[in-house]
This record gives sequence, C-alpha cells and structure tokens, in this order.
Amino acid sequence: MTRERVLLIEDDHELGTQIADQLGRAGFAVTWWKEGRTIEAGDVPELALVILDLMLPGTYGMDILKDLRARSEVPVLVLSARSDTADKVRALKLGADDYMTKPFWPEELLERVKARLRRPILQRVELVEVGPLRIDLAGHEVHMAGRAVELTRVEFELLTALARRPGVAITRKWLAEHVLGSELPSSERTLDVHVSRLRKKLGPHSPIETVWAIGYRLAAGREP
Amino acid sequence: MKLRLRLALTTLAVAVPMLLGVWIADAVSRHRAAEVALAEFTRMHMLGRGRERCEADPDAWGGEMPRPPGPGPGELERGPPRSDDDAPRGPPPAGPREHAGPREHAGPREHGDRPRHGGRVAPPQLYAYDPELHAANPAAPLVPAELAARLGDDELATWPWAWWSPEVEVLVRMPWDTGPCAVVLARGTTVPGWLGAILPATSTWLVPLFALFAVVLAAMGPIVRRIRRLTAEVRRSAATGYASPVALSGRDELAELARAFAEAGQTVRAELAEKDRREQALRRFLADTTHDVMIPLTVLQGHLSALRERAGAGQALELPTLIAAMDEAHYIAALVHNLALAARLDAGALQLQRGPVDLCALVERVVMRHRPIARQHAVSLERATPEAPIFADADVTLLEQAVSNLVYNAIRHHRSDGHVALILDSHDAGAHFRVRVVDDGPGIPADELARIAERGVRGNEARTRAPEGQGLGLDIVHRVAALHGYSLHLQASEFGGLQVDLAGPCAGP
Repeated sequence: MTRERVLLIEDDHELGTQIADQLGRAGFAVTWWKEGRTIEAGDVPELALVILDLMLPGTYGMDILKDLRARSEVPVLVLSARSDTADKVRALKLGADDYMTKPFWPEELLERVKARLRRPILQRVELVEVGPLRIDLAGHEVHMAGRAVELTRVEFELLTALARRPGVAITRKWLAEHVLGSELPSSERTLDVHVSRLRKKLGPHSPIETVWAIGYRLAAGREP
Repeated sequence: MKLRLRLALTTLAVAVPMLLGVWIADAVSRHRAAEVALAEFTRMHMLGRGRERCEADPDAWGGEMPRPPGPGPGELERGPPRSDDDAPRGPPPAGPREHAGPREHAGPREHGDRPRHGGRVAPPQLYAYDPELHAANPAAPLVPAELAARLGDDELATWPWAWWSPEVEVLVRMPWDTGPCAVVLARGTTVPGWLGAILPATSTWLVPLFALFAVVLAAMGPIVRRIRRLTAEVRRSAATGYASPVALSGRDELAELARAFAEAGQTVRAELAEKDRREQALRRFLADTTHDVMIPLTVLQGHLSALRERAGAGQALELPTLIAAMDEAHYIAALVHNLALAARLDAGALQLQRGPVDLCALVERVVMRHRPIARQHAVSLERATPEAPIFADADVTLLEQAVSNLVYNAIRHHRSDGHVALILDSHDAGAHFRVRVVDDGPGIPADELARIAERGVRGNEARTRAPEGQGLGLDIVHRVAALHGYSLHLQASEFGGLQVDLAGPCAGP
C-alpha cells in the first residue's frame, strides 16, 4: 500500500516538526511547507490531504484555501488558534472540510486525518459485509464466517440496522423505534432480549457490541 | 481673529459693495435726469427766441445760454429760460463748466473744479447744426460721430455709459428739419453735487452711518465678556477633570451653551467612569486568569520534573505521573479556552455569530478532542449521532465549548474504568435536538444540583478547581445555553452519575 501524501503548511518550527513526525510515524508521506504560498497544480503530486495553519505570516491562510478550492477537491484540515466563530465559519464556507483548534493531542490529529481520508465502504446495496459477517439483504440470508445463520424477521432487521452504519453506536431508543416499531420504554428491554438471542445465534465471535448508555454497535474493526 | 474685529470686517465687506451700488444708481439716475432736463431746456430755448436768433446769425450763434436761477438740476426741468438777454454774443465758451453768472463768455474752467452745492452753476452751452450736422459757427465743436450715429432719425441722442462723469451732452433734433439750426448739441453738467438723486446731497449722512457702526461694535462688548466668562468656566471645569459643572447664570443663548457643556460633561464623566470600571474588571480578570493558569502549569512542571528525575536516575517512568502531566496540560487548554470565552462574556461585548452548525460534526470533534485524555483515565468515551445530519442555528465556538465542557467535566470527575456517553438525537419529528452527556461517575449531591439548576455557577465558585465546585466550565455552559435560548437540565443519571441535557430548536443547513 502506497503511503498517502499529506501537505502540511505550518510556520511554527516546533509544532511543524511534531506534526510531521507524528504523521510520518503513522505511515503518511509528509510534505512540510514552512511558509504560506498558493498550492500550484504540480507542487505536490498525488496529494491526499492538506493541513493548513490559518495564522500564517505573509500569505493569509484563507487566501491559500480559497485559491486551492478553486482548482482542487483535496480535503483540507484547518488548524486554528483562534476561538473566533467568524473565522471557522469562513474557513468552512471557503471549502475547508474540518478544523481543529489548538491545542490538540497527537492522537486527536491522527484520528481527524484518518477520518478525512476514510473512504466510504463500497458495497452493493443488497450485500453487506462486515468482517466475518455477510448479510444478503435481498435473499434475507446471513452468514457468519461462512456458516448460514437462521434469523427471525426482527433479528434480521436489527442486524441490518446495525450493519448500515458499521462501527457506529446506535441508540436503543432508535433501534426500538425503527426495528420494533414501538416508542414504549419497555420496548427497549424487548430489544435487549432480541439482541441477546441474535448474539447467541452469531456465536462467540459476534460483532455486536454493547455501548454503555447508548445501545449497540456492529464492530467494524477500524472504528475505535 | 477677535469677535469685534471679525464683526467690523464683515460689516465693511457688506457695506462697501452696497454703498457702491447705491452710489452708482444715484449717479445714473442723476445723469439721466440732467440729460432730460438739458434736452427740455434746449427745445424750449429754441422754440422761444433761440431759433430766430440762431437762424439770423448762424455763423456766431452758439455757446453759453443764460439758465434760469435755482438750485440743483431739478431746476433745469422746470422750464425754458424766460430772459430775453440770453442771446449768444461773442465767442463760444471753451468748455461746458463755467460758473454761472451774468457773463455768457467766460474763460474755460479747470477740470476737477466742480461746482459746489449751493454755489453758482455753469449755464448750458448750445451749438446749432444743419440737418447734415455741419455747423455754421466755426467755434462749434464737431458733432461726435457716435452721438450722430445714435441720433439717426430720433429726436434725442445721449451718450451711453456717461453716468460716471458730471458732464452731460445731448444732441437734440428740432421740430423743423431745415436750416442751419435743425439740430442742437447741448452741453451741461449734473450740478450741483456729486450726490443727490437718491442719496442726500451732502456727505453728512456718512456720520450717522459710522456712528451706527460704532454702536454695533460697542454693543458687542457684553457678549464678548460673557463668552470670555464661559471660556474661563470651561477651563476651570477641565482643570478639575470635568468633575465640576460649567456654570454660567442667565437665560440667554450663552447660558444655554453652558448648560449644553455641562450635559456633555456629564456624559463624558459617565463614560469615563464606565471605561474605568471595565478597565479595572479587565485588570482583575487578567490577574485572576494568570493565577488560574499558573497553578496547573506549576503542577505540570512538578510532574515533568519528577519524570525527569526518575529518568535521570535510570528508573522506569511512572505511568500515573505521566498521565497526571497530560491531564494538567489538557486542563490548561480547556481553562484557557474557557477563560477567553468568559472574558468575552463578562465584557458584554460578545456578539453571537449564529449560523447553521452541523451538530453531528460538532459532537465528533468534541469526542475526538477528549478521547486521548479519557483513554489515559481508562474512561470509555462513546458517542451516538443520528444518520441524518442535525443542524442548529448557533455560534459554533460557544456551543462547541459548552458541549466540550460537559464532556470534559464528566471525564475529569471520574473514577477509572468509568463511562461517559455523548448522545445527539432529535425529537418532535426533527424540530428539536438534544445533546445528552451522561456518566457513571460520582455525580453531584441532590441539594447542590438543585442550587446549580436554580442559579447557575457564579463568581469565585465558578473558578474553583473541580471536583469540589463544578467550575468555570459549567458556568459557561449555563451562559451559552441562556444566550442561545436553549434549555439545560442537570439530573442524576440512572447509572449513578450525572446526566446533562442541552436542548434547542433545529435549523436548516
């Protein structure tokens, strides 16, 4: 797998060094510009993401952003020390995909970069695959590690509801409403019973996780 | 420029052109009257015995004619000469300005020696010409070509633009149009005075004019003195830092001005006091802020120093110390953000910059910000957001800081292996959003919870480092919710900790 190219535009030497190191250790190829200038088409080939500090001397970060967005759709993560709303709103309007306010932890930065680079999981509508789990929506069939699993209608709908957003916690309330079609508080306990049965049927490696105070999640293996 | 001098100059600037205009009008009308009178005199004279005498001896007729007695040019209009002894005799006069007298043939007078008012005036001079304007009398002057041209077939020709001169010259055509005396050139003056038709004939009228001028200047005195007093009052007030009012008794415009000064002074004093108050508040805030930030920084330095010592001694790094150091750094960051926001809220200068805020993205950012520190404490931080995005019309900085404070409070007051969950969902068919932060930490005692719900967190209590007080963070949550008109509910969670709900209306993206 080729390393994804990240362009970092940051004038502070210490911060720039840290970010470049962290991204490098995380497996990214980093190009670091210590001063702001417009990004020309051929400057950084195969550019996957731009991390742009808004408070650059000389060229104003917003100008770089505006100039870049006129020509390219590459994701831009903006770093800002300002707690000014107008700045953030302007950056987002000019086409920034996300912003981070300083200070931030290295893990936070990496998560945000990865979240920006995460591509939507390509799957056919009628077939959902999450880890060892394989759900055939059209045929109402579920396979776990190649083994066919017999599910009731409610269990199947519960599983597909979770599988539509793998790695994302779904509230019990939402599941009760959308799977059981009931808004009664007691229906959440009914839901728990259904989940319990579903887990049993999926076996010891069931990817259904309980999320504290929220509900359930289908482990995607990549979502922390 | 002093007021008086200014007034004097202004009066002069207005009076001089006005006087000049009146003087010109006077000269023009007087000249016009003299021309009419001279022409009339000429006609009457010729219709009397003038024609007879002229035609009897055209070679010698001409020169000064005796004029009827009387003062001023008005006399000329009155009628023809009644005397018979006005027959021209001897050589004609050399000029039009002669002292009137019994003599018809006097020597020429010097120019500039104008007849005075009340003095004798020069009689008019007449010269006769045939229809072709040729004179039989060799002493008669040539008819000026312009005057001849202006006569044409008219009965009377006068000079244009002659008003500035006291000399009057007209060319009169007689009722008969043959013979050597068909046209008569008459010369006279606008005697007796330089002024007279409109303005008084003597210049004594200038005396009351200048007297009036002097009176006006003198009348300025009290006004100028009052203005000086006002100036002194304003200076005195300024010397006391505008603490004493500008006082000037009376009911005139200057007293009014003094009162306006006094009112302006009050406004300025009030604004200065308000500025002072703000400046003091800012100074106090800076001092407090420095204090607030220095404590966790000192703790952080302590941790780093301890780590350095252990590393120097070749000992293994203590994980708890490292985590505590990270904790302090995270706390400082949150504190500085909160202090900056509190400063803006306190200054009352905060303008809500509302706009559509993607709440799912906001929740995502808050969770990502605090997850590193939650991990250090082995606190699980989970979030749930609906599949469809939810937007609110809010100030993204304030709202994010509020949610961030709720989450951070939940993490910070926690024991290890606890849970914090951040749940965003919508209610009432998508009309309202609700951000819920729930934890299974120690929670807040019921009585304190009621107190916080009632009054919020204020003053020094807000600045106290948690876990004892709920801290500045919760205070900011309260204020942000109030600013946005959102509801904020704190209650004990079903898991034993605290559950906070922040709810408000949704908005389109």
